[in-house]
Amino acid sequence: MHSFLLYIDPGSGSYLVQVIAAAVLGVAFFFKNIKLYIRSFFTRSSKKQKDTPST
Amino acid sequence: MSSTVIYHPSSYRDPSGFIFEKEGVIYRQVNTCFKEHFDHFTQSGCYKHLVEKGLLIPHEQVPENLTGDKSYYATLKPELISFISYPYEWSFAMLKDAALLSLQLVKEALNYEMILKDATPYNIQWHKGSLLFIDSLSFEKYRETIWVAYRQFCENFLAPLLLMHHSKQPLHQLQLAYLDGIPVDVASNLLPFRSKLSVHTYLHIHLHAKISAKKKNVTGSSQRFSKQRLLNLINSLESLISKLNIPYRQSTWSEYYDEAAKRNNYLTEKKKIFEQWINELPGIKKAADLGANDGEFSQLLAAKNISVIAADFDSYCINNLYKNVKSSGIKNIQPLIIDLSNPSPAIGVNSEERDSFIQRCKADLVIALALIHHLVIGKNIPFEKAAEFFCKIGDNLIIEFAPEEDEKVQLMLKSKKDIYIKYNEQEFLKAFDKYFSVIDKKPITSTNRVLFY
Repeated sequence: MHSFLLYIDPGSGSYLVQVIAAAVLGVAFFFKNIKLYIRSFFTRSSKKQKDTPST
Repeated sequence: MSSTVIYHPSSYRDPSGFIFEKEGVIYRQVNTCFKEHFDHFTQSGCYKHLVEKGLLIPHEQVPENLTGDKSYYATLKPELISFISYPYEWSFAMLKDAALLSLQLVKEALNYEMILKDATPYNIQWHKGSLLFIDSLSFEKYRETIWVAYRQFCENFLAPLLLMHHSKQPLHQLQLAYLDGIPVDVASNLLPFRSKLSVHTYLHIHLHAKISAKKKNVTGSSQRFSKQRLLNLINSLESLISKLNIPYRQSTWSEYYDEAAKRNNYLTEKKKIFEQWINELPGIKKAADLGANDGEFSQLLAAKNISVIAADFDSYCINNLYKNVKSSGIKNIQPLIIDLSNPSPAIGVNSEERDSFIQRCKADLVIALALIHHLVIGKNIPFEKAAEFFCKIGDNLIIEFAPEEDEKVQLMLKSKKDIYIKYNEQEFLKAFDKYFSVIDKKPITSTNRVLFY
């Protein structure tokens, strides 16, 4: 079965690269999401302040 | 038309099926070994979804074994692509869009528990004004393993795009030399050191090359690799590619029409004669605009419902034309980078896998405006050889001849004293007379140039 699934050579070391890359990217995207969350939290609160009508 | 089955010379790699021609119609056979995946592809709704989104070529299923092959499972009749082009003829923006389309397909297919099992630009074509994936047998069931086509993607899309982005040079012809993609180690060596500062580039190219060089015979392709990890990989490639760019650079020909428009009424008059002839010409469906530049005349043809191959060797002009065609939604112009003095050759196994430009480009009308003096004086190509080339492309020709007194020709002849023939209208007509006969001749009165049809 696998002989036909792999009709193209995935490349020696391709498995290891994907595993390492996915792990590194997993960490990177985790911190990126935290950064985006914090940024959106502050922009939301500053927006709210702006939206609040002045009395 | 032959009733025998003609197997397509480039459709031999994938055992899931193949392309063939019978009685002038192109079909795709699905083989029994791919039954499980193909059934899932159609029954899960993946095929329907991709076709509805305009990402995949639609096909009709033909309930007949047209090849008589024992491995037959199904016959498909895909919608016909009018012109097949290759990545070494594409501009940067077109290759970038093709790369992003491949990644989008991976993501879309994952929603149906399927994955793209190969990632080659040869599976993508320009069709009716957008890029389309043409191989319905590239989708297999997702089994939570690594992406088998990852290296292929990096070598066929990412490597050439990164090289062009960092060098700021149009390196599309590298893909002609590396038919299976630019190897990651070659790309890693060619890329500048600063490219290592990008995490994404470092992982997908530099680390990829390093590990590939060390780890021999380790694929581990059947080991578990979660969907989230795969998505991390795809998102990373997507974010890297979407930021890549080749800066607009003023090339020799990029401002041609701006400059030409300033020459009295030259452009207006030329357009007027051109449009008049086009209106008079019956049954023109396909045209090849050779030396198309920014595609001014290609657009005039497209507006008359004529499909146009707009070819020019200037990659910046073709890149602009591609962006222009894409943004304005013009459906019948295919912009290609072609050096007319060295059009794409036939390459691949037995030199028949990828046809030459001349084999593929068959038009009803050839347009060669402000071109012949560049071929004859600039490239030392005899009039007769140029005429032979135009004749191989199409039966009708609209050609502009700039005489030896022309300001631009004078400038060219000044620096090119080694021209082997006398450059004049008489020699031009004598050579072209072997391949074409003059139906009409109109001078562009504001200049001393002449248009021939």
